[in-house]
Amino acid sequence: MDVQKKKTSLQLILWWSLPVLAVGLVIVAWVLFSANNPRLMPGPMAVIQRLIKVFEKPIAKTSLFGHAWASLKRVLTALLLAWTIGIALGILIGWNRACKAILGSIFELIRPIPPIAWIPIVIMWFGIGEFPKVLIVFIGTFVPLVINTAAGISMVDKINVDVGKMFGGNNWQILRSIVIPTALPSIFAGIRTSVSSGWTTVLAAEMIAAQKGLGALVTRGWQGSDMALVLVAVITIAIIGSLLAIFLSVLEKVVCPWKSN
Amino acid sequence: MEKQLTKLLEAKNISKTFFSHKGYFTAIEDVSFDVYDGEFLVILGPGHCGKTVLLNIIAGLEEKTSGQVLYKGSPVSGVNPEISMVFQKLALMPFKTVMQNVELGLKFSGIPKARRREISQNYIDLVGLKGFEKSYPYQLSGGMKQRVGIARAYANNPKVLIMDEPFGQLDAQTRYAMQEELLKTWEQDKRTILFVTNNIEEACYLGDRIILLSQCPAKVKEIYTVDLPKPRNMISREFLDLRTKISGNTDLAI
Repeated sequence: MDVQKKKTSLQLILWWSLPVLAVGLVIVAWVLFSANNPRLMPGPMAVIQRLIKVFEKPIAKTSLFGHAWASLKRVLTALLLAWTIGIALGILIGWNRACKAILGSIFELIRPIPPIAWIPIVIMWFGIGEFPKVLIVFIGTFVPLVINTAAGISMVDKINVDVGKMFGGNNWQILRSIVIPTALPSIFAGIRTSVSSGWTTVLAAEMIAAQKGLGALVTRGWQGSDMALVLVAVITIAIIGSLLAIFLSVLEKVVCPWKSN
Repeated sequence: MEKQLTKLLEAKNISKTFFSHKGYFTAIEDVSFDVYDGEFLVILGPGHCGKTVLLNIIAGLEEKTSGQVLYKGSPVSGVNPEISMVFQKLALMPFKTVMQNVELGLKFSGIPKARRREISQNYIDLVGLKGFEKSYPYQLSGGMKQRVGIARAYANNPKVLIMDEPFGQLDAQTRYAMQEELLKTWEQDKRTILFVTNNIEEACYLGDRIILLSQCPAKVKEIYTVDLPKPRNMISREFLDLRTKISGNTDLAI
């Protein structure tokens, strides 16, 4: 019993330390590589100094937080639009045969197009203001949502619908209180994909044409051969991306409590 | 039997053939039987012989190829609100608590919350799940889940309760206990029960009458009337005789 207990606490420590160890290894590799190739890759100290400089001498009159917020604002605006329209459309396609026949095929066609490929067209049509960037992110987030939602809805087991009929539910009641909740985990998978896809797309859009935003910082650093600035932006991107992922997994536990096991 | 026998439900010459690109497959062929008001009718048949399809047709969830279902003498098509079902595959909603699962039918028919909570609580207590109202299905054992399914069907206050192999996935101990509880509940509120099983012992223990179905396609092989008083003694002479008789007449499904 005691041995068992010891073993599990040891395992627990191991499981906690492994991720720390893995990240630590990456940092060590970084230090070693940058020490040997200082022109290709600035070391951690150089990046921290550059980080301080970003705050002392803001780029485009905006602090690092300002840039991060500019990117986040674009993603969140696009996501809110994509969630409302995408989920509604996905439900429609998954539930209604006619909608599936008409709209489903269109989405199958659009699906393999990477969102970045829309950038030239969108810039040509709408210029380089705020709207075209949000639109590009919207395209990148909207498509996975529609596809995942539609798949989730149409995969709902027939027996669940039968239960709804048996207990006297009309179509709307069955859709609302049986089919949509059953598909919620799939919808949530779509939400998760949409967030990571949105975060990727916004950077691509900003790298091509923007004054503010983390993508603009990357481009600025790249064009000025300021690799430390590029790394400052990249690390910020990674941190915000992981925070978003953590936030989503917490949200999923709240929204789908029955899935916690 | 001292009861007045009135026909509540009639299955008339029901057949069901499935067509697919590979050809066709007849699951049910010319099945006819009556269900009397208040009786405990058992449909016994080997596995995969179309029992579930037959029930779905009676409940109005599946189209029949030919034949008729009469309820109180008139033909019905579509879902009959006076029939409720305990599904073989449970089909509880994983995202609903026990209480929310049980009150599903009441909610659909627009009964106010306080009233439907009261009705559902009554049946949750009846099946012995008091204290688990807020649990989700994944937190329950197999037997408890099955009780939720039974409470859900009862809460809808059906005239006819269809039970599709409700105890099939339970271990033997739980199964005996549930059979006993089901009989007690049935004796209390005298609802008509249409109970499907592939277990001969279970059929003999529960049924007022037993309809024996044949191997695929399902046809009515024989109808037994069981006059033994309930609760039945599973090792009494009469019980074992009946069991042997039905057993000898059953097509084995392997």
